[in-house]
Amino acid sequence: MSASGERLTRPRATADIELRHLSRTFGEIRAVDDVSFDVPAGLLTGFVGGNGAGKTTTMRMLMGVLSATAGEVLWDGRPITQLDRRSFGYMPEERGLYPKQAVLDQLVYLGRLRGLSAAAARASVTSHLERLGLADRAKDHVEKLSLGNQQRVQIVAALMGHPRALVLDEPFSGLDPAAVDNMADLLREHTARGVPVLFSSHQLDLVERLCERLVVLARGRVVASGTPEDLRSHSVARHRLVLSGDAGWVRGVPGIHAVDVEGSTALLEVVEHGAERRLLEEALRRGEVHEFSPQRPSLAQIYREVTA
Amino acid sequence: MTTTDQRPTDRERGPVAETALADTTDTAAGGRAWAVVAAREIVVRLTNRAFLVSTLITLVFIAGFGAFSVWEGSRTTTYTVAVAGSDGRALVERAAVSARQDDDKVSVVATSVSGEPAARTLVDEGSADAWLHETGTGWTLTSADDADLALRTAVESALRSTALERNAAAAGTTVQALEQGTTLTTTRFDGQVGNSGFVKGATFAFALLFFMAAMMFGQQISASVVEEKQSRLVEILATAIPLRQLLAGKILGNSVIALGQVVLFAAVGLVAVSFTDLSTLLPSLSTAVVWFVLFFAVGFFALACLYAVAGALASRTEDLQSTTAPMTTILMAVYVASFGLSGKALEVASFVPIASVVSMPGRLLAGDAAWWEPVVALLLMAGFSAVTVVVGERIYRRSLMQSGGRVSWKQALTAQD
Repeated sequence: MSASGERLTRPRATADIELRHLSRTFGEIRAVDDVSFDVPAGLLTGFVGGNGAGKTTTMRMLMGVLSATAGEVLWDGRPITQLDRRSFGYMPEERGLYPKQAVLDQLVYLGRLRGLSAAAARASVTSHLERLGLADRAKDHVEKLSLGNQQRVQIVAALMGHPRALVLDEPFSGLDPAAVDNMADLLREHTARGVPVLFSSHQLDLVERLCERLVVLARGRVVASGTPEDLRSHSVARHRLVLSGDAGWVRGVPGIHAVDVEGSTALLEVVEHGAERRLLEEALRRGEVHEFSPQRPSLAQIYREVTA
Repeated sequence: MTTTDQRPTDRERGPVAETALADTTDTAAGGRAWAVVAAREIVVRLTNRAFLVSTLITLVFIAGFGAFSVWEGSRTTTYTVAVAGSDGRALVERAAVSARQDDDKVSVVATSVSGEPAARTLVDEGSADAWLHETGTGWTLTSADDADLALRTAVESALRSTALERNAAAAGTTVQALEQGTTLTTTRFDGQVGNSGFVKGATFAFALLFFMAAMMFGQQISASVVEEKQSRLVEILATAIPLRQLLAGKILGNSVIALGQVVLFAAVGLVAVSFTDLSTLLPSLSTAVVWFVLFFAVGFFALACLYAVAGALASRTEDLQSTTAPMTTILMAVYVASFGLSGKALEVASFVPIASVVSMPGRLLAGDAAWWEPVVALLLMAGFSAVTVVVGERIYRRSLMQSGGRVSWKQALTAQD
């Protein structure tokens, strides 16, 4: 093979993943409907959505395991090839390994299939097993491991050998808090290398804590995407009002939606601009105002809003 | 040409500078993936205890057959017959000659007794096998249990000859004159010496060996395919290597093991045969065995591919029984045909792919196949295997990623990519 020919086709170490108008139908059901978003290099992108929202189908299309009915996936600005995907770390939704093969042996096997030399695969697997506290189980058959430990083996399978991108379906499910932190650190090391990372999760607090970007999917469509701050700025502003007396009267103020009223405390949404001024004047007329503060919406709240 | 390296530096790539996937993921590495898969299949099989034990048991069985034949062949059987008078003794001596003519490992000797009580004692204590004595109607052979056929035949023949001689003399003629023209000589148009029992036995051995190996390795291939499908490991594999290479590696790895086992069994079997009376037939048997191994090697490719497809059609291990049913039927048919067919039907079967694995070596052994016939049959099977692998690979790819339940052969064949 000529060195120059190789150079032309050799992609950069890292790049963005772009999903463009991806759709997938199963019979009559449109599981994924015109989904477009980016997974930028060097950033951790969280992928959230309820059961059946289409996360797994989208990720399977991204990895080429499932063909798309329409749309395309770009890598480094051009249509992705199976050869590109070969250098990706992928963790499918349903976990599985060879139950009757030793942990180290099968991880080295998977590494070699992805083009690592036996020695390089062994070195990478060993260091990852140490990181995840599984070094002493390397020679055990997978079926002898607990589910949590099998999950860790699966993580090693995806992360070993410096993948160029990571696509992980529910990587945190089944992990204890210490392992979650461990895993989060590992993922950050990969983004620090400039690798794009996409992972799906049900655990919104975790996504909020870890992700630089997130994509929310509902009924097969992207309903929100961007940084958590972007999403918050689009969210309806909420205020907390604490009075000296009963706050039940706020329900009647025009332009204000009372989300929750309990005794002297009320959680409010300002539906009509300027209504908060009327509200405060009325509150001061009735008694003392202990607190009137804008609320930073939680991701869970935003999620409920966008998927409603 | 210069080979300046334009790959990203370690700094660009990240803090750890070991070999990265990004640097080794070229087509050259991808082209060897089938070898990595094949190597794993072989290692997994060779370290499987059940496989090793069953192989060992079969070897012991084959070697045991050889050892038994040697022991059986070297054993001489001596029958001791108790007699009272000289007439009896003369009959026994004549029986001894007749027995030796039939089988040189059988001898008959006489021992004298005074009468029935003494004879009974001798037979009871085991120092005599039977008592030959004259009664009103002729001679009687009395033993503790039914007399052995070899002994009975020998005494019968002696008695018959003696009586014939006496009767011939009384009629003024000789036995030779009486028996003139009663000998039937058999020959074959092809001039060969018939050995159909041996050919049948060897063909049966081929059929059994083929049937066992194909079933065992076939089931193992489909089990290993469905294991990957059921556990969704196939999703990781499919992103790492082309499915075609996964299939190729599986077929190759299992074929190497299956063929290795068959060659081992055949070699031990030939050595066992060399210790038996059949050792004179060894040259023609060896030729047939070589052809059998050749046919097996080519035919197993097609079967291995079909079994891999059957594994891909299943969604769980429980489905395998129904998806492998067509192959089981084919194998059973080949097995039954191997000893059920003859004449023209056998000739046709020896050219039909898969069936030819057993029937062509059988015909070669019987000596009624021309030199070009196995060559043509082998080419036919090679063609069949090639088509099977091409079509099978397509079905394998289509159905492997379908997770929603079992796929039927018909659905898989008609589905679009």
